[in-house]
Amino acid sequence: MRQIFNALLKYKNTSLFLGLLFISLLIVNQRSFYHKSVFSKIGLGISSNFHGVSKGVSEYLNLRKTNVDLVKENNKLKILEIIYLQNQVLKQKTLDTFNFEVVSTKIIKNSFNKANNYLIINKGYEDGVTNDMGVISADGIIGIINQVRAHHSSVISILHQDIKVNVSFKKNGAYGTLSWPGIHPKRMTLDDISTINSVSVGDTIVTGGMSAYFPFGIPIGVVSKFVQPKMEGYYQIEVDLFSNLTQKEFAYVIKNKDLDEIKKLNNDVSN
Amino acid sequence: MFQTNTKSFLQFTFLILLQAFLLNNVNLFGFLNPYIYLLFFITYRFDNNPTLLILIGFVMGFLLDLLSQGAGGHMIASLAIAFLRPYIIQFSFGVNSDVSMGMVRGTSLSNRLLYLAMMVFIHHLILFIVVYFNLKSISVIFKYTFFTTIFSFILLWISLSFFKTRYD
Repeated sequence: MRQIFNALLKYKNTSLFLGLLFISLLIVNQRSFYHKSVFSKIGLGISSNFHGVSKGVSEYLNLRKTNVDLVKENNKLKILEIIYLQNQVLKQKTLDTFNFEVVSTKIIKNSFNKANNYLIINKGYEDGVTNDMGVISADGIIGIINQVRAHHSSVISILHQDIKVNVSFKKNGAYGTLSWPGIHPKRMTLDDISTINSVSVGDTIVTGGMSAYFPFGIPIGVVSKFVQPKMEGYYQIEVDLFSNLTQKEFAYVIKNKDLDEIKKLNNDVSN
Repeated sequence: MFQTNTKSFLQFTFLILLQAFLLNNVNLFGFLNPYIYLLFFITYRFDNNPTLLILIGFVMGFLLDLLSQGAGGHMIASLAIAFLRPYIIQFSFGVNSDVSMGMVRGTSLSNRLLYLAMMVFIHHLILFIVVYFNLKSISVIFKYTFFTTIFSFILLWISLSFFKTRYD
């Protein structure tokens, strides 16, 4: 204690000066807005520097935790990358393994008011169109090619009493055969659906995979009416088409790459 | 002793009033104001209590700032000059620094000139640094310090001659 007092007495001028200087600075800070702003700027600089240093220290001390977090993040990103790459491969694979080729075409002539209707399209064998290809529109199927010229082909419309298309229910995959009774251009009949399958009005009908002409799953229409037989057997189902075949302009020809193979197989089996 | 203190007090009051109401309105060439109140610090007896001078310097600067609406430049400058005065005396008078009325008699002219110049220059430098308080205006600070130092130096030298005749 005595030493402290001695030291204070020894440096009494200096300590008095420093104390009074501190008081003066306080007074200056009070009296002048300009000086106040300068002081606060200096204070901000000092405190931000100090915080920068302490922040750096704490960051260094947290490096282990940060590394763990980064590794976790990397794992997540790696998984996403793998999924992304797989998707890319799958997409390419899907394109490669898709058995159908599509040729866009324009309908030149269309008929719908006869018992057996045909269409003419403006693509022929020079465009790669051959017999027995399916023709679809944006919202359903149109028919099957039966004659081919160099730049034109004729199409048997599904509004033809001889054509029968393999279709199935979208909800349960029950197979049946779609045909046109020859009355109304939007109304088709669906046969060969066994009564062991449940049917209700509004069920969606899509093309079935049994057909060599059309890929599986093209929406065709909905069930509008059905009659259940008294005994076990087959429903009598009426289907409304999605597409209005009286107003078609554009169509797509679908070429099944494996058509020859399937035909050969069919022949082998039947022989 | 009592007489000396009374004299000092009167001198103190007179210098503050002179400075605040007359000399701060001189504005020579538009910006030069001499700071004659430094006379108190210059003529303060060398053997008097330096701690008391620090307190007096603080109070004097504070009063001057109050009277001239200053921010605190006079306060800090006079406080600093009161604190630094013993070192300046040592530096400028050397072995003669124990002569109690060194500024008025008993020392050589060159020593007195050096002492006066250093007191004025350091005081003015601190004063303008505090007033401008910005590193960007360092050239303005030095310009004002330089010219005001010359002006104050001349006036103080003239005033000191009155002291000399009175003490002779």
